[in-house]
Amino acid sequence: MPRLVTVRVNRPDRRPVRVWVPVLPVVLVLFPVVVLVVLAAIVACVVFRIGVVRALGASWRVISALPGARFDIEQGRTAVLVAIR
Amino acid sequence: MTEQRKDILDMLAAGTISAEEAEQLIAALERDQAPALAGHDARPKGKVKYLRVMVDATDNGEPSRVNVRVPLQLLRAGVRLAALVPPQALVKANASLSDSGVPIDLTQLKPEQLEALVEHLDEMTVEVDSPDATVRVFCE
Repeated sequence: MPRLVTVRVNRPDRRPVRVWVPVLPVVLVLFPVVVLVVLAAIVACVVFRIGVVRALGASWRVISALPGARFDIEQGRTAVLVAIR
Repeated sequence: MTEQRKDILDMLAAGTISAEEAEQLIAALERDQAPALAGHDARPKGKVKYLRVMVDATDNGEPSRVNVRVPLQLLRAGVRLAALVPPQALVKANASLSDSGVPIDLTQLKPEQLEALVEHLDEMTVEVDSPDATVRVFCE
């Protein structure tokens, strides 16, 4: 599971913004929202006749596989970096 | 059986060399072949972990750069998730793709095929060079 998400934004004529987001504390704070999202996903699976367990398992695999992903985009003096650890 | 090993055994059968000489020759042959085989597939399979996409381009005179690193495990997980997409959604996606001039039938794309594709990505390197852009896709 991801532990830390780093976001860095460089814009011309502005100070660079660098944000470190610790995933676990954020998930704990947003736990009620996470529960609602999971419930909505379960309802969607039932409506579209998708195996709930398979869908939740596949989603968990995607989330677990996120660490190591890195997206670095630069255009001129503007740059955005998202790194998941 | 390799051609050289067969030649040695033929010489032994013809009595040109003794059994000891044949053994020494085969041992020497095996010593020579081991490094050659290791060099043939120098990149160990299963070691690659990431798919990298690197784009260097010039857009309206400004340099732009894209550097994406995606874990292969994420691609595999994505394939499993994509296998859950209901058929009616695939039909709608097919219609939209067809309207956009991309006549691809997604219902014919099986998860096993996609998984096989991901499994063999480590052997793939794509390099595109044009005057104002360079694209590299590879695994590391």
